[in-house]
Amino acid sequence: MKKKEIIGGIIVLFLITSLSGFLLAQVYKVTSPKIEEQKKLEQERLNKEIFPEGVKFELSFYPSPLKGEGKGEGEKRSFFIVYDKNNNEIGKIFDTKSLGYGGDIFIRVGFDNNWKIKGIKILQHNETPGLGAQIVTKEWFLKQFENLVEKDIYLKKDNPEGKIDGITGATISSRAVTEGVRKLLEEVKNEK
Amino acid sequence: MKNKKLIDFKVFFNGIWKENPILFLMLGLCPLLAISSSTSDSIGMGIAFTFILICSNVIISSIRKFVPNQVRIPVFIVIIAVFVTITDYTIGAYLPQLQKNLGVFLPLIVVNCIVLGRAEAFASKNNIFNSLLDGIGMGLGFTFIIVLMAIIREGIGNGTIAGKIIFGKNYKPFLIMILPPGAFLVLGFLIAFKNSLDRRKKC
Repeated sequence: MKKKEIIGGIIVLFLITSLSGFLLAQVYKVTSPKIEEQKKLEQERLNKEIFPEGVKFELSFYPSPLKGEGKGEGEKRSFFIVYDKNNNEIGKIFDTKSLGYGGDIFIRVGFDNNWKIKGIKILQHNETPGLGAQIVTKEWFLKQFENLVEKDIYLKKDNPEGKIDGITGATISSRAVTEGVRKLLEEVKNEK
Repeated sequence: MKNKKLIDFKVFFNGIWKENPILFLMLGLCPLLAISSSTSDSIGMGIAFTFILICSNVIISSIRKFVPNQVRIPVFIVIIAVFVTITDYTIGAYLPQLQKNLGVFLPLIVVNCIVLGRAEAFASKNNIFNSLLDGIGMGLGFTFIIVLMAIIREGIGNGTIAGKIIFGKNYKPFLIMILPPGAFLVLGFLIAFKNSLDRRKKC
């Protein structure tokens, strides 16, 4: 490469990258508040589906049972306290994850004040479409969890006292959700 | 590929069928196979892709005389990345569900072989207007195939098109179409179909 070409290349690259960086910074300034807002709306929507009477969802923290989780200021996990329109506390919402067939399944569980399950939502999963993914598409599966107490939360085929029917062809995914929910209940019931 | 004409509309039709980026050039198969299980996602992907391709082709064509040969690839990629990022942020702000569904395949357009390939093979060697036509043609060609594949895969494999049930509630879906093998099967048949049409034209 001749010296002139090298300098030409450096100048062109410098101009293009600085212009691009500037342009992108402007786009980011415009879109990032909207993106934040979308995230908040999504959280609200999910929480409202679990607690339709909920009016305020307050973000709170509890110490994490795992060592080394979280950054810096102590290991904390977040959860929501749910208030109705009279500002009475009507329940709590927690997130957890459970290892399914295609990776972690992220689950959001709402509990009423007696630690009975109010509702469940799958936040994210990587289960096989048409098979494991039925934990989302077949609404009756998640509905089964409502109003259960700890000893009920087992797959019928795993435990005679269990009240959960797994989905045919999606046992691993069904079991992952069931175990995840029960373990979450065991963990948070003792905290508060 | 250099065009002698100032404005050559044949360039546009080239991208749609004759040198269709998927069926003929066989580039950019990765996002195609991944996204074509859902019709609505495919439409979104096609539009985003076409927008990025058009913008990058036009910009690269307009600066082609100023970019030294040795640095052309980094320059192309930076320019493509700018438009991909703009698209990514915009979709994230106004269509968050689409962004969630496209997942990693939206940022992956930065190194998509169709976009990079057209930049190198066409936009850097032709004038702005023809590069614009090439971008539109290739983009529409890609969108056409990905949406067609999605209609087939989602229709047969899930009984729906864009979420609307088409075969009635008792349809037992042919599951393999929604899974990766189905993607390869449908693509293979489409390529074979195009090849047979091309062969007949020759005779």
